[in-house]
Amino acid sequence: MRIETCYFCSSKIYPGHGVNFVRNDCKIFKFCRGKCHKAFKRKKNPRKVGWTKAHRKTAGKELAIDPSFEFEKRRNVPVKYSRETWQKALEAIKKVTEIKQRRQDHFVMERLRKGREIEIQMDVKNVQRNMSLIRSPAAGLKERRAKEEAEEAALMDEEDLPEEKITYVDARELEKRLEEGMGIEDLEMLEA
Amino acid sequence: MGMVTKRKKMHYGDTHLQRRWRVRNRRRDLDQIDDDLRTRSGELINQNVDLEKPGFAQFYCVHCAKYFIDDAAMQGHFRTKVHKRRLKALEIEPYSIEESERAAGRGSFQKAKKRGIETQPTKEEVIAGKRIKVEEKVKITDTDSTPATNPARATRSRPQKMET
Repeated sequence: MRIETCYFCSSKIYPGHGVNFVRNDCKIFKFCRGKCHKAFKRKKNPRKVGWTKAHRKTAGKELAIDPSFEFEKRRNVPVKYSRETWQKALEAIKKVTEIKQRRQDHFVMERLRKGREIEIQMDVKNVQRNMSLIRSPAAGLKERRAKEEAEEAALMDEEDLPEEKITYVDARELEKRLEEGMGIEDLEMLEA
Repeated sequence: MGMVTKRKKMHYGDTHLQRRWRVRNRRRDLDQIDDDLRTRSGELINQNVDLEKPGFAQFYCVHCAKYFIDDAAMQGHFRTKVHKRRLKALEIEPYSIEESERAAGRGSFQKAKKRGIETQPTKEEVIAGKRIKVEEKVKITDTDSTPATNPARATRSRPQKMET
């Protein structure tokens, strides 16, 4: 029993499934289902169709280059049956698949982690760019004004002066009086 | 009624597309064309007279795998979008059965390489020994090599009509 791979999506084809297409140059194209066959008939490029393995690997979504992929291959060399090699091969297969799975998972997780970092950076940038939505740009101005007003109010409280009385005095008369020898205090006294 | 009434087609669907996708209407695939370009471009451009083919098989565009009736038609075709699109599509290595197996995890999956593709040389040039070259695109650092090939294309004169 041989499990074939689909030409288009690279999935497994179990016996009794799918379609074979033999092109007029003797090349055999195997398809796992109608979907893949149809896509081939439409001359779609599997590298550009999102759901194929070829696309996922060219786009760097999955682990593409790794020595663990070198074990499973069509070698076209017949091997004489021996129980011992058979058993060893089985164990090796188990081990290889385990290692391969681990590496693939690791690759995907690393990829996602990188994405997460970029996401955080983008978030920070987004906040910086749209800071005005969180904190109004006029907020500083308002604060300063409020502060100034508060200061003024405090000053007023401290002084708490009554309004000064303004008296109009004839300047010349004032001069004369000053010449006569009276101080300013005396003048004030006079008015009072 | 007694009259013969023509059935009016209300839904024509995609029959015309389905017909195009039938196997008997299948045109050459990109990987076949790639093989043509690399191995037998000379003999395809300079074919023997075949009375069955359009233009007696004298005007063949290798990239599009298409016969033309005369040189004017072919030169016109080289200036069309269809042809340019095909050149662009051939720039990347074509997908193959081996690649599908590599994608499935049998061997490492290398990314497809990009090549430089140019419109084919004329028949005279092919007779003189020029062939289509499919070379891997070298990095942009040595752009000097590309203009060197361009003058050859610029000086290429329109060939006279073939005498048949």
